[in-house]
Amino acid sequence: MTKYLLSRIVRGLISIIIVVLIVMLLIYSCLNKDMIFAQDPTYTKMKSNAREIYKYRQWERYGYLDLVEYSDYLQELLDAGEIDQTTYSEAVLLGIDAGAAYPEYDKYVQQFTEKYESEGYNIEKLQADRAGSKIKDGGNPQLFAQKPIPLAKRAWTYFTGIFTFDNIHKVKEDVGERGLSFTFFDPAYGGEKFSPAIMGNGTQHKYLLYFDSQFPYVHQNFVRINLGASYTVNKGIDVFNTMTDSQGAFKTQMITYPAGLTEESADNLHTAVYAEGSFNDSSSAIIKDRFVDNYTNVGTYKSGFSKVGYSFIIGIISVIMAYVIALPLGMLMARKKDKLIDNLGTIYIVFIIAVPSLAYIFLFKAIGGKFGLPTTFDMTAPTWTMYILPIISLALPSIANLMKWLRRYMIDQMNSDYVKFARSGGLSEGEIFRKHILKNAAIPIVHGIPGSVLGSLVGAIITERVYVVPGAGNLLTNAINAYDNGVIVGVTLFYALLSVVSVMLGDILMSIVDPRISFSTKKGR
Amino acid sequence: MEEKLIDLGEFNMSDDELFSVVDHDMLASEKITAPRYSYWKSVFRVFFKKKINIIILSLLVVLIAFAYIYPLAIGYDADVDPYINLMNSEAKHLGPKAAMDKFGYNLHWILGSGASGNSTFDALWYGSGISLSLALICAAINMTVGILVGAVWGFSKKVDIFMTEVYNVIANVPYILLISVLVLIMSASFWTMVFALTVTGWLGIAYFIRTQVIIIRDREYNLASRCLGTPIMRIATKNILPFMTSVIVTLLATEIPSYISYEVFLSYIGMGLSDMSLGKLIEAAQVAMTTPGWELEFWAPVAVASIIAVVLYVVGQNLGDASDPRTHM
Repeated sequence: MTKYLLSRIVRGLISIIIVVLIVMLLIYSCLNKDMIFAQDPTYTKMKSNAREIYKYRQWERYGYLDLVEYSDYLQELLDAGEIDQTTYSEAVLLGIDAGAAYPEYDKYVQQFTEKYESEGYNIEKLQADRAGSKIKDGGNPQLFAQKPIPLAKRAWTYFTGIFTFDNIHKVKEDVGERGLSFTFFDPAYGGEKFSPAIMGNGTQHKYLLYFDSQFPYVHQNFVRINLGASYTVNKGIDVFNTMTDSQGAFKTQMITYPAGLTEESADNLHTAVYAEGSFNDSSSAIIKDRFVDNYTNVGTYKSGFSKVGYSFIIGIISVIMAYVIALPLGMLMARKKDKLIDNLGTIYIVFIIAVPSLAYIFLFKAIGGKFGLPTTFDMTAPTWTMYILPIISLALPSIANLMKWLRRYMIDQMNSDYVKFARSGGLSEGEIFRKHILKNAAIPIVHGIPGSVLGSLVGAIITERVYVVPGAGNLLTNAINAYDNGVIVGVTLFYALLSVVSVMLGDILMSIVDPRISFSTKKGR
Repeated sequence: MEEKLIDLGEFNMSDDELFSVVDHDMLASEKITAPRYSYWKSVFRVFFKKKINIIILSLLVVLIAFAYIYPLAIGYDADVDPYINLMNSEAKHLGPKAAMDKFGYNLHWILGSGASGNSTFDALWYGSGISLSLALICAAINMTVGILVGAVWGFSKKVDIFMTEVYNVIANVPYILLISVLVLIMSASFWTMVFALTVTGWLGIAYFIRTQVIIIRDREYNLASRCLGTPIMRIATKNILPFMTSVIVTLLATEIPSYISYEVFLSYIGMGLSDMSLGKLIEAAQVAMTTPGWELEFWAPVAVASIIAVVLYVVGQNLGDASDPRTHM
């Protein structure tokens, strides 16, 4: 069994990697790169060479290519002390445009070209765009080197960057004595309440382990998961955080800042991240009054749940509802086969299968609205009634699906020899159904349980759109519409992981429920 | 002594003249004297025995006629007709009564007018034709490829190992992503949509068929057949395919409505066809749904999509029941 599981996990991981590769191939290589500018207002405003260089800069940010601009190269020389400020500012403009007329600047262009050409970059040179002798708006000359990122390299960077481990040498600057410290009395609570925490200096995060009142109560920052940064959907934020950060209105409470100031604020001091020079170089009283070091970049407490949180609450309740309702109903349908209850159930199942899902969700919404239930989700004034309609809309189709299969499996079992034997042994029909048929018919149903539980993390596209739920369901469609490649890849990885895990858990659960099923022998008959 | 029934002597003939030896006929001895049984005849006999099937089938015929013949009959031009009243602000969003008062009492205005003053009824049937064609073509392609691949997949254990891994990978690539990428690459035309829905759509069907084939493949009668030296192709076509007819027909019954539903879904999230299909109509009428008095614009295409899907599903299910030989008794 262990050996089988190990090989399953390895194969699962390989297929996840292939899925991510396929998705990368689809979005980076098959799609037209210019497509991302279709709805970009900055792009339409730009003109001439400025627009060209803007395109390349955006492509670099979206992960299409590596870009080195000539000015950045000169800046490097300036920082290294090889050139002075005047040479720098003149070389940036004159070196590219006039070229050979200024041999003293032309040599930097030569150097730049040679350096990056030898590294496999393509050198692009845009001459100044002039009207007469004047340079047009945005028509400054441009020189840059660009190199498309090959799929293998992109995938390698992506997969190796998924987990980042925080350590005390993470911060490059001088931060004084580096090290981890353990305390029983978390300073974020004023230093008097008992609350263990591990804090670091020199680490990316100030708090590496802490307790608070938010689920799951113990938090760690030793290992961070990065699924890819977003560019448009949630600018600069990693997909993982986009999915798990709480949303909604700020939630304020009395907090004591490290510098001793106590005030009502929504800041979450536990999330403090090192921000270079933010304290030392700042003269702002807001910073100086509150913080004592460069760990000033703090997150905030918000009153709502995260995207995944909302999706999961709605999803898990509807899954529980579906199983609780569908199992007895499916049993009843099988027992009263071809009677009234079976026919009614069949009509319901046909309705759900045949009517487009969009149509019946709108129908539920219309009916629910007539009963006075809230039809849209409001994060600022949450009531429990706003969960009702999304939950029902999600539960009703899965009830139909479960009923359909349970009825089918039970009817298939009804003619088995063991049922005839049980009947001839004098067992009552109820006993046969509950203790014998259900146990056998439920095996394939059990296989789907992990899938539906984990599936509720993903969210539902139509339901969440129709009821304006701020859940995770629409993340992928939004990312596709906004050409947010980082989010697309991250979400795909998340989906693939969930699906591989749920099939595996389903198999394990099935073999626990039914000891006859064993995965250690070779499959096949 | 027993009494003779007939005295052969009274014929005055020799035994040779009276009797002739019949040879053993190999061919005739193979014939089974049972009532003639034609499979498809029995299928339709069982199918039409239920009165409800006749009603639903005629409903299907009416729907198809409206979807394909009605737009032809009125000469509906998708580039012109939806916009004839575009400039007439009084013609927009009219209820059935108001529209008929305005344009006269005929079939076109029976469901009122839409956002651009077009006839909802005409747009509805033109859209139904597109949606129905999409569903039928996709189902035909996916079913054909799916059944053929699934049969091979189920039969060969080597293919099984390979295909299962392929399935694990492709089933995990988000379908919406694949479709939207294809639509972006090739524009949102009808045939792009067909390609997008079929490029991986057959895989699910093939997986389903594979499981069915595996269940039947090692049954005793097939083992016996293989022992007697029947070639694999013959086993597949003569032993297994008849067994699967009802499964395939049932599958078809769920597939066709699912494409209609999927098309509606894709249009709703903004990745659908550029043609005025049912899904596009529903998507376009979303605003109308929440505006009092305009609801019909939304519910009319929803209702038609639902009716088409239900009718196709019920016909398919009952045909599936009828194609199971065990019901032919």
